[in-house]
Amino acid sequence: MKPGARAGRGGGFAMLGAALGAIVIAAAVIPLYLLAKQALTPELETFAWPPFWLPRKITLANFAQVFTVRELRGAIARSLGVGVVSAVGATAMGAMLAYAMARAGAARRAGFAALSGVRLLPMLAVAIPAAAMLGAIGLADTPDALGLAIIHCAIAIPTAALTLYAAFAAVPAEVEEAAWLDGASAVRVFLTIDLPIVRGALAAAFILCFILSWDEFGFALLLQQTNRTLPPLLYYYTVFGNVGPASALALLMMVPALCVVIALGPTLRGALITGGSR
Amino acid sequence: MNWQARRLRAVFVAAPALFMVATLVVPALGGLADSFDRGGPSLENYAALARDPMFWRAALDNLLLPIASLALELAAGLAMALTITARARRSPVLEAAAILPFAIPEIVILTIARYLLMPRGYVNGALAAVGIAPAAWLAPRGSLAMLSIVVVDAWHVTPIVMLMLVAGLQTIPAELYEAARLDGAGPLAAFRYVTLPMLAPAIAGAAILRGIDALRIFSTVLVLTGPEAVPVLSTYAYGQWTDAQAPRVAMAAAMVLALMVTVFALGGALAVRRWSSDLGARA
Repeated sequence: MKPGARAGRGGGFAMLGAALGAIVIAAAVIPLYLLAKQALTPELETFAWPPFWLPRKITLANFAQVFTVRELRGAIARSLGVGVVSAVGATAMGAMLAYAMARAGAARRAGFAALSGVRLLPMLAVAIPAAAMLGAIGLADTPDALGLAIIHCAIAIPTAALTLYAAFAAVPAEVEEAAWLDGASAVRVFLTIDLPIVRGALAAAFILCFILSWDEFGFALLLQQTNRTLPPLLYYYTVFGNVGPASALALLMMVPALCVVIALGPTLRGALITGGSR
Repeated sequence: MNWQARRLRAVFVAAPALFMVATLVVPALGGLADSFDRGGPSLENYAALARDPMFWRAALDNLLLPIASLALELAAGLAMALTITARARRSPVLEAAAILPFAIPEIVILTIARYLLMPRGYVNGALAAVGIAPAAWLAPRGSLAMLSIVVVDAWHVTPIVMLMLVAGLQTIPAELYEAARLDGAGPLAAFRYVTLPMLAPAIAGAAILRGIDALRIFSTVLVLTGPEAVPVLSTYAYGQWTDAQAPRVAMAAAMVLALMVTVFALGGALAVRRWSSDLGARA
């Protein structure tokens, strides 16, 4: 191949890559900018035609409204509560499952099959009967949203177990054996040897499960029809007007997830790119 | 000690498993029973589905939307994965931007998408600024609305496809590219004869996982167009449950969807297994 031809073709690919990169960055940044603009400007500016691309008047009124309306304050507290309760439960049960899967082949095969089987259930096929069953035991649509927390806990267990599995599998068998020889019980070995070693993965599993619950829309919509959590509330605000508070609420809802991306960013990007030299 | 450890493992498997069965599987089985019940065992709920033209529309859309979504997400995910891994220097800004849409809660993505696509929204505003007539992006029953749903869905989940394909790309040994280059292969030939065959397992895995989610599509359709403008099986079932007050018909529709998802997942898994054993036999 002539050198000139190769350079020309390489240049073509480089330009294509640069164009694609520009599209990716625009698709991530521009919509978020417009959301932030809507959250920080009076509602009248949002309804302007042609639309304003730059804010004319900055105001915090939309955020003030989010925190003063009782319905919104209640939804924020409820979403936090459901997230923490379900993430604690899912991390605990996910740790049990992952530990058994990491230590025994039979548990591993059964565990992976069951965890992927759960993915196949359509949300509605569970949520509609679950709403009736939770109602029968007085847990449907309660102000503390305990019924939703139970369901979120169940759907987060696979996430927790898969996050923790590799960590438990990486604990060397010798460490456990030493404790056994010292006469520690199996439960004690798990609690005092394994759990402290995998604490980093436990934190990661807790965060992932919390985010899963914080973002979850379908079950929340069907199970909490009056005592809403944030995602269904944002849905009603978005579909039935109130642009300003909806935008402010949407912006606030991104805070936990963005914190995680920024905190996990280096590891995430490291895992993404290491060894990719071509 | 061994029996004690074994008993602990049994408890550790049984407790979460029982909890998940009680909270997810028992309701689903109850729903399955409900779908065959009309004050006694009956197929009437399924017959009601078969009589409803809206159900057939939903079933059809529930095939078209996932196919279009998968095609777009795999193509865009592959393009993004290649762009990111092919760079000589890493670009933290590009990597963060590529993952960002997935880190945004789905409902926030959909909220933004509504404001972008509404009749006097930013997309039409941008079009008007360059002299193009505005379009009704979310108008009921239009193919334009289906296109909007596919693009918005892809905007949110393509980062996951990209991550799976990047992981696949990193398992390809650099020596293969070196060998291809020495054999005189240009970048396109290397892509065709090295990258694509080596990446096929990752592509198949991403297609199965994303396909399952695409079949279950619910919130994107509900938030962008409402339950009946572009009906899919989930929104149809939701409409039957809320507006039509027909929970048993809703469960019948949900069970049709569950069947579709299961057939797709098992078929995909079987196809991948047969295909990889074929490859193994040839090697």
